[in-house]
Amino acid sequence: MIMSGRRLILLATPRYIGVLDWRPGHMHWLGTFGAGEADLADFRRVVEKHAHLPALVVADTVDEDYRSEVLPHVRGQARAELLARKLRQVFRNARFTGAWRQTRATAGRRDDRYLLAALTDADWMTPWLAVLHRARVPLYGITPLAVASQYLLARLRAQEAHTLLAYRLDNRLRLSYYQNGLLRFSRLISSDTPTQLPGNAADEIAKTQLYLTGQRILPREARLHVLLLDPSGQLDTAQAQLNTDPAFNTRLIDLADLGRALRIPEDFLAATPEIVPLAAIAAETLPLNLAPPELLQHHTEFRWRRGLHMLAGGVAALGLVVTAAFWLHAQDLHSQAQTLALEQKQLDARYRAIARTFPAHVASPEQLAHTVQLARTLSGHTLDVDALYGAVGGVLAAYPDFRLEALGWRSDAPQTAKDAAIQLDAALAGFDGNYRAAMQRIERFMQDLSAMPNLSDVRLRVSPVSADPGGTLAGRTRTPGGTGEQVARFSLEFRFREAGS
Amino acid sequence: MTHPPIAALKLSLILVLATLLLAGIGIVWSRGKAHDAHAVLERQQATHAQARQTLARSRDQQRLIQTHLGEYQTLSARGFVGPEMRLAWIEAVQLANQAAGLYGLEYRLAPRIAAAPELAQGIPLGQTALSISMPLLVESDLPRFLAALRARAPGIYRVQDCRLSRPGHESFDAVNLPRLRAECTLLWYTVPQPQGDAS
Repeated sequence: MIMSGRRLILLATPRYIGVLDWRPGHMHWLGTFGAGEADLADFRRVVEKHAHLPALVVADTVDEDYRSEVLPHVRGQARAELLARKLRQVFRNARFTGAWRQTRATAGRRDDRYLLAALTDADWMTPWLAVLHRARVPLYGITPLAVASQYLLARLRAQEAHTLLAYRLDNRLRLSYYQNGLLRFSRLISSDTPTQLPGNAADEIAKTQLYLTGQRILPREARLHVLLLDPSGQLDTAQAQLNTDPAFNTRLIDLADLGRALRIPEDFLAATPEIVPLAAIAAETLPLNLAPPELLQHHTEFRWRRGLHMLAGGVAALGLVVTAAFWLHAQDLHSQAQTLALEQKQLDARYRAIARTFPAHVASPEQLAHTVQLARTLSGHTLDVDALYGAVGGVLAAYPDFRLEALGWRSDAPQTAKDAAIQLDAALAGFDGNYRAAMQRIERFMQDLSAMPNLSDVRLRVSPVSADPGGTLAGRTRTPGGTGEQVARFSLEFRFREAGS
Repeated sequence: MTHPPIAALKLSLILVLATLLLAGIGIVWSRGKAHDAHAVLERQQATHAQARQTLARSRDQQRLIQTHLGEYQTLSARGFVGPEMRLAWIEAVQLANQAAGLYGLEYRLAPRIAAAPELAQGIPLGQTALSISMPLLVESDLPRFLAALRARAPGIYRVQDCRLSRPGHESFDAVNLPRLRAECTLLWYTVPQPQGDAS
């Protein structure tokens, strides 16, 4: 996993501490600081100036110990407790300890293989750590130099199964063994031992190979691939000596190789060879952290603070984006409304121009048209009285004994002007009191009226006599030849419809 | 990253809360602006659509006016549109009576009332009933009178009903006396002049 972001990578040795200001694609060596009071004060000033950056300490000391352990596969809190117990058991009272779960067996119980590591004596580091702690530097880890060098192997594309890195720095030789790219063992041969001589370096490598074989860390038949890394060039002769032994396969790493692998100018590497392991691990996630939790407290705060600040930034950005989106949407809607308002004014102006041509004495054009239409309906037709006379008179002519007393009509609505209700009142002249004959005569008259094509619904409205069982019927019959005329009046109603309607 | 050190993160938490508050205020404010703008746009769209409809209707109105204005003006001149012309109506029935050679008439004008809604159809149509009663010599006098009235009548009217009767039962005498009586109801229709009449 690649980590990004600016940080401080510190190389801590018992004699000095070097500080690298690193960020992706750029690094700046802030210098090395000794253990004296003046150097410590300078270191403090540098640290305080960069106290906002997370920091990693890469420890390079002889007082380190590595132990490979196979432990049951457990997870979570159980694993934490198991490892804590194991670290206490193995390293006793060491303050800086850590465990790295490197692989898991593919057979059997499928146990986990751990690399346990500790700085067995780290008192020399206390002043540096105190400065970091007082400056509230977010320290995120302490790791051995051998772990940092592991990433250097990856950069150098050293993919052999058994690799021994011989790294000479500050007249000290560090031998680190990596199996399949993972650190298994490392030792530092201090400058007070006679390793300055190249021949001794080859001997130390050979002894280390024997130790690893003896500890069954390195398979007996395995051929050890040795990488000789020495910016000062003092390991060149060791290569020739090692190449005579078929158990070794050596490769010399020069500054050009390092520069290409780490993308760092050669002159920068030559001037500050300390940055090699620091640059290699700067962007990587820490697999083995020896720092006790109390030293990581500031980094915990730093991460929370950074997370909260990122959250605040995200919220602010989201709020800004949403606000801007709503605001822009509102502006767009306003713009549309303004465009519509402009168009509406133009439409209104065109309407007013048309409306000015309307006559002033008319409420509305629709009412004008409606009024005209209504006038047409009202004056459309009047009843043809002559036709009515003709129809009624034609029938009456056949009844000379019927004396017409009244004729009325009524049309209730203009729409039915051609259809009128007619009322005819008449009397029988020379009525002799024979109502049966009179009624027969009236009924025949009604039949004749109904036979007319434009008369219908003929109905006797008033009868000359009422034969209703509930009423009283009284009268007088006339003797033949008697004098005095009786009157039999009746009334009819029917409908008249003009021809063609 | 469990157990956050709350005490050390007070300022950061305040910053987050302040950012949340400001972002919320900004979002609510801008959302309100957008909501208001949307409402304004909707109102403007409705107004715009109304204006467009009004303009489209104005073209139909122009066509209506071109089609009916002449006839409307004629109706106004005839008295259908405008105030009642009671004297002109009475004069018309008198003249029609004289023209038909009849023997005078009696009349009665009722107050103006509103016409039935199904007839008026939204127009403020009023109707005034004119009842006339007149003696006739023969039945054909009535159609002659009505024809004469139709030729002279101002405005628009309708014969609602007529009744022709012989009041007495006098025996026939060969004298030229009117023995018939006609009673008719004429309805005169008028539409009040619209407000703002300039003519």
